[in-house]
Amino acid sequence: MARKILEVNEMSAGFFVNKEILKATDRISFSVEEGQTLCIVGESGSGKSVTSLAVMRIIDYAGGMILEGDIKFNGEVLSEKDQDEMRSIRGNQIAMIFQDPMSSLNPVFTVGEQIAESLRLHQRKSPKDAMKMAIDLLREVGIPSPEVRARQYPHELSGGMCQRVVIAIALACRPELLIADEPTTALDVTVQAQILDLLQQLQRETGMSIVLITHDMGVAAEVADRIVVMYAGGIMEEGSVEEIFSKPSHPYTVGLLKSIPGFEAKTEEDLYTIKGNIPRINQLPGGCRFHPRCPHAMDICRREEPGFFQLGNDHKAACWLFEEHSDESPLSPRINIGSQGEVTV
Amino acid sequence: MGEYLVRRILQSVVVLFLISVFTFGLIHAAPGGPTQIFLSPGLSVEAGKIKAHELGLDQPIPVQYLQWMGNILSGDLGSTFKNNIPVGDILWPTVKNTLILMGAAWILTLIIAIPWGIYNSTKEYGLSDQTASFISYTGFAMPAFWFGIILQSYFSLKLDWLPLSDMYTMGKEGNISDLFMHLILPVSVLSLGMLAGYLKYARSSMLEVLEQDYIRTARAKGVKENKVVFRHALRNALIPLITLFGLDLPILVGGAALTEAVFNWPGMGRLFVEMANSREYSVLMAITLLGAVFVVVGNLIADILYAVVDPRVQLSKGGKS
Repeated sequence: MARKILEVNEMSAGFFVNKEILKATDRISFSVEEGQTLCIVGESGSGKSVTSLAVMRIIDYAGGMILEGDIKFNGEVLSEKDQDEMRSIRGNQIAMIFQDPMSSLNPVFTVGEQIAESLRLHQRKSPKDAMKMAIDLLREVGIPSPEVRARQYPHELSGGMCQRVVIAIALACRPELLIADEPTTALDVTVQAQILDLLQQLQRETGMSIVLITHDMGVAAEVADRIVVMYAGGIMEEGSVEEIFSKPSHPYTVGLLKSIPGFEAKTEEDLYTIKGNIPRINQLPGGCRFHPRCPHAMDICRREEPGFFQLGNDHKAACWLFEEHSDESPLSPRINIGSQGEVTV
Repeated sequence: MGEYLVRRILQSVVVLFLISVFTFGLIHAAPGGPTQIFLSPGLSVEAGKIKAHELGLDQPIPVQYLQWMGNILSGDLGSTFKNNIPVGDILWPTVKNTLILMGAAWILTLIIAIPWGIYNSTKEYGLSDQTASFISYTGFAMPAFWFGIILQSYFSLKLDWLPLSDMYTMGKEGNISDLFMHLILPVSVLSLGMLAGYLKYARSSMLEVLEQDYIRTARAKGVKENKVVFRHALRNALIPLITLFGLDLPILVGGAALTEAVFNWPGMGRLFVEMANSREYSVLMAITLLGAVFVVVGNLIADILYAVVDPRVQLSKGGKS
């Protein structure tokens, strides 16, 4: 088994709001192996982004904190480091790219300056060398005439180009772990595919590990080795990409997969939705956090929170349905993954 | 850039012309002309009419305007009705005095407000922030003349530390340290008023920027917190403040009438009030036009600085300032 580069153990992160602690993630555990891509999927408000901010410890600046549990990176406990120590890791060994590339870049600095900054910061390059390397990085992420682009400002670039610049910034110091928070959500579909391809290509070249946060099961199917399904701050199901797509077990995962619009859908009724909304983190229901929206909710679901039930070698789900028969999944709908990674239900 | 400047200056000429027509009409529409001011109880109505004719005040207003405009274009600001003193002789010294007063107050305000507002944005609702808030509300709420009188009664009359009013002690005209002592109280009054706004603007502008995604990107890069604030955030936060500088430029010449009155400062504000009382049209028009020029120039400076700080603004492409 490959070395674990990131381990998150029983980690809760949250915010103080009006002297009340709001847990955005609730004792979540997962790990990422070297060179692997882990996808965290879930709808908005499920705690995916908070997880990434907690790993980076940027959550401290957003008025939040890690409440319990720990985060280990290469065996070092990140959750115990102070911000000075974190700064030498951020952008250096762990890098992050964000959802909206246009607003993630500072409008008053050229893209070259913004890439060079990381290199000057972590590798003590001279301004001139850093700029040269920045131009090489731009070329590496597929930006044509990088010498010209480096001198331009973010508003002179398209969204897809900006995301390439953001990726170049993240890759500047050759991080071991890249956290990508919805990197393609703000982009056109065609550009989305290009950016995902680029990330995978760069991963092959550098051997870095990726944590990719997305609400798009299609994206997850395309790039993930492992998938963690989150809902309302908790992990619902975890497994290898093959297991999750061939034997989706948790009713939430099943709902997410069914919600992918298929080519057959002609009317609005054909579009499957999970009824209801994700609960606010201060109004979580008792028992299983998904039970109010679950089509299979039983008595026990309202009373008690389920632990994980092992469903296979590398597959587990937090759902009472699997208490008795934890080797088969009674709910699996007919889901097929095509050769291009497309999903049909 | 050059083309932009030319276009803006041409626009300014039109604006200034319209302002002059408007204020000329307005001043003449105000009840009570200069002739009524001259009418001492001993002067007959006929004598008043003769005087008005001499001064050209019996002409139709458009004709008066054209005459005045013609003089302005040939560089002649006119003279006062009373005593026939050239307007420039009265105006320029007061302009200089007002610029000294307002310039000192403005610079002091910016020096205090911007660093302090930025500091407060990083320590929201801390002691320093609360203090600044208190000062802001006080500054907004307290009438300048009242605060001026309070300062006078305490620091000059009771403690006798600072001069009560005027610009210089009699016989010490031109003495810099004497001027400095005279500046302290009126500058305090004016700065408090301006500080109120700038502190809030600097703080809120910075707060807004600190919440932007690119600040998060900078932190994710491992940039030190003080560099996040002073390199990544500050330049963005200054963009809206620059508009404020430009728009505030005109108060350098017009904003201090009450304070000048309280401290008997020989500036433009005081002059304007005096001249309005005696209906000295030519002085009033000169002051108004000067104010308008400052407004126009202030806006132009704001736009140019805007383009310097914000690469997204391009002046040459027209209409995008």
